[in-house]
Amino acid sequence: MRRFFSITAWAGVALLGASALGAIALRRGETLNAIWFVIAALCSYLVAYRLYSAFIAARLLSLDDTRATPSERHDDGCDFVPTNKWVLFGHHFAAIAGPGPLVGPTLAAQFGYLPGTLWLIAGAAFAGCVQDFVILFCSIRRDGKSLGQMAREEVSERGGFIAQLAVLAIMVILLAVVALVIVNALKSSPWATFTLAMTIPIAILLGLYLRFVRPGRVLEASIMGVALVLFSVVAGQWVANSHSWSHLFTLSGIALTFAIIIYAFSASALPVWLLLAPRDYLSAFIKAGAIFSLAAGILFVRPQVLMPPFTRFIDGTGPVFSGKIFPFCFITIACGAISGFHSLISSGTTPKMILREGHARLIGYGAMLLESFVGVMAMVAACAMTPGVYFAINSPASIVGATADAAATTISGWGFPLSAQTMNDLARSVGEQTLLNRAGGAPSLAVGMAQIFSNTIGGAHLLSIWYHFAIMFEALFILTVLDAGTRVGRFMVQELGGRIWKPFGRRGWMPGILMSSAVIVGLWGYFLYQGVIDPLGGINLLWPIFGISNQLLAAVALVVATTILLKMGRTRLIWVTLVPMASLVTITMTASYAKIFDPSPRIGLLANANALAAQIAAGTIPAAKLGETHRLIFNQRLDAVVTAVLALMILVLIVEAIAQWYSILRRSREPILHESPYIATRWAEDFSGAAHGDD
Amino acid sequence: MARITAHAEIKAGAAPGRPASHSRLSRILRIAWRALRDWCGDAAYEQYLRSRGARSASAHTLTPAEFYVEQLNRRYSRPNRCC
Repeated sequence: MRRFFSITAWAGVALLGASALGAIALRRGETLNAIWFVIAALCSYLVAYRLYSAFIAARLLSLDDTRATPSERHDDGCDFVPTNKWVLFGHHFAAIAGPGPLVGPTLAAQFGYLPGTLWLIAGAAFAGCVQDFVILFCSIRRDGKSLGQMAREEVSERGGFIAQLAVLAIMVILLAVVALVIVNALKSSPWATFTLAMTIPIAILLGLYLRFVRPGRVLEASIMGVALVLFSVVAGQWVANSHSWSHLFTLSGIALTFAIIIYAFSASALPVWLLLAPRDYLSAFIKAGAIFSLAAGILFVRPQVLMPPFTRFIDGTGPVFSGKIFPFCFITIACGAISGFHSLISSGTTPKMILREGHARLIGYGAMLLESFVGVMAMVAACAMTPGVYFAINSPASIVGATADAAATTISGWGFPLSAQTMNDLARSVGEQTLLNRAGGAPSLAVGMAQIFSNTIGGAHLLSIWYHFAIMFEALFILTVLDAGTRVGRFMVQELGGRIWKPFGRRGWMPGILMSSAVIVGLWGYFLYQGVIDPLGGINLLWPIFGISNQLLAAVALVVATTILLKMGRTRLIWVTLVPMASLVTITMTASYAKIFDPSPRIGLLANANALAAQIAAGTIPAAKLGETHRLIFNQRLDAVVTAVLALMILVLIVEAIAQWYSILRRSREPILHESPYIATRWAEDFSGAAHGDD
Repeated sequence: MARITAHAEIKAGAAPGRPASHSRLSRILRIAWRALRDWCGDAAYEQYLRSRGARSASAHTLTPAEFYVEQLNRRYSRPNRCC
């Protein structure tokens, strides 16, 4: 009887989800309430978790709760810490949820709400969650080894080196693109710049408190810090209204670029307890608060989605970024559906803290579902604003014009009615001089969030406070990714440099720290600079390369996972990782080819470089702009080379893996699995489950 | 056995030595408070003191300040914040 009710309940959930998806997919011309998105996503996630993740856990991975996990075998209280599964779920989610699932869907909204939403839900259920779950399992079975170490042991020595290089390259592009998002959000905004600048002394204050006054008392320090940050959001308004102070904090894109580069260098070279860690604590609390508030706000306000399901820009002529719906929608959504970077977390801290293998399902698969839900909420926030406003905020001046009148004329001509007055009023109501040409996704998401929040609390007169709270929230945790990533990148540079010159690899050697920090900051700083000076706003140039590199890393993770599963004898079920891997390789290789060779200068990097070179040859570039144009040509060619090298590296790894798979399937070589030996858990008496209400 | 008790506490989120007659609400709040402290790292030193590594006779037990710096240096030397 119980089984009957269970089946009926799950059939009901599936039916509700299918109806909501149908409503989203089939509506044409009528307005659609955002609540349909929430129902469709939640029901799909529940069904995917209940059925698909259970299938993977039982049939593909055969999770074994009697097997001691690394946290039990090596319990040292520092790296290996047995942790409650819900606490670890929170840790893992806080680690994987970055700006990607917020920015990617916001940018992909230019195709309309439908393609991005479907990919967010389906991509997460069948690819992203599978990758995170399987890699977490593989790392648990190998004492918490990293993706690079697993690639080296299970695929080949060269495979491991390629994975390591790919991670470094992806890190450089990731840091450049997230820094560009901050620059575009803070450009000419004294309020937002002041608020973000204030988080630096606040973090240092917290760092000193946590180091010398009350060591490790993170909670009380974070509460003080969050209060100070919220006060600085309000104080930013006074700064913006003061002539002298607003002048001091009104910075150009170039000035912000150098400020962020100097900040990241300092955060990388200074002791971690002084700036980086306390900022991370602040960021974690504000991130969790803002994401839950956004979910609650959407449920409370239930906004209407104003963007159509498809826009005319599916043909590749979009103003936010150029490229057709396939493959660029998938590349742009990135982390909300699948992120290669997650495999570094799933093979980093999490496997060392997991209490038992069975928890990998909730933590690996479940946390990624939640991240996908964040992406759906970002899509709703972007699509709930008037499409004309969305395009005015996210399009570069070179396409829509630099003035409100020009932008209104251009965007209305595309079929999205917009008046200059609307843009001027909106900018004034959020306390900004202008909201035009803020490519990057952060300002439009902040406008969407502020509209939802102000409809929940405070009304229109709190819109400016909510807008700057949202900008601070986005910029704060992007800066956390930036400084933490720069520090990790520094260690990678030191490790690689140490192979050539030993002292360089010593982590405590100050000249090595300074040189490696300068190298990593210089690398991503250069890409950031080229994004800032790019006439199309930089996002058009850098976000697709970031998406390609991130998805290529996911392909690497799935190659490693497939190889391990084949060695485990799971040949009949290998499609679980093989199909997403093949899809990702197809998507990323198509995108790489288009980015390098497409004949349209707005898509193809080489075509753009050649078009600029032809303009110079024809004498149509003014003499004053010649130097800048030569730099642009160089940058386009450099980006084409970077994209090609990334794609080639991954192809080499895939060829190596296919050779392995062939020999395993032909049984010409005995597969060697590098798993840690089975040790029965000492906590076996707890595994009846009933004692602790497990699962 | 002590380890198993510690594990049971991790699972149940219950403070040892408290009477079982506490109201359901206070128990939920206590579990939530403990989960929050575990999540944000506030209870990391207490966890370290309970760990096998810290309790082994040969190991030098770190002070709260030493542990705090040591833990941060380890955590921020590998990818721990994603895109």
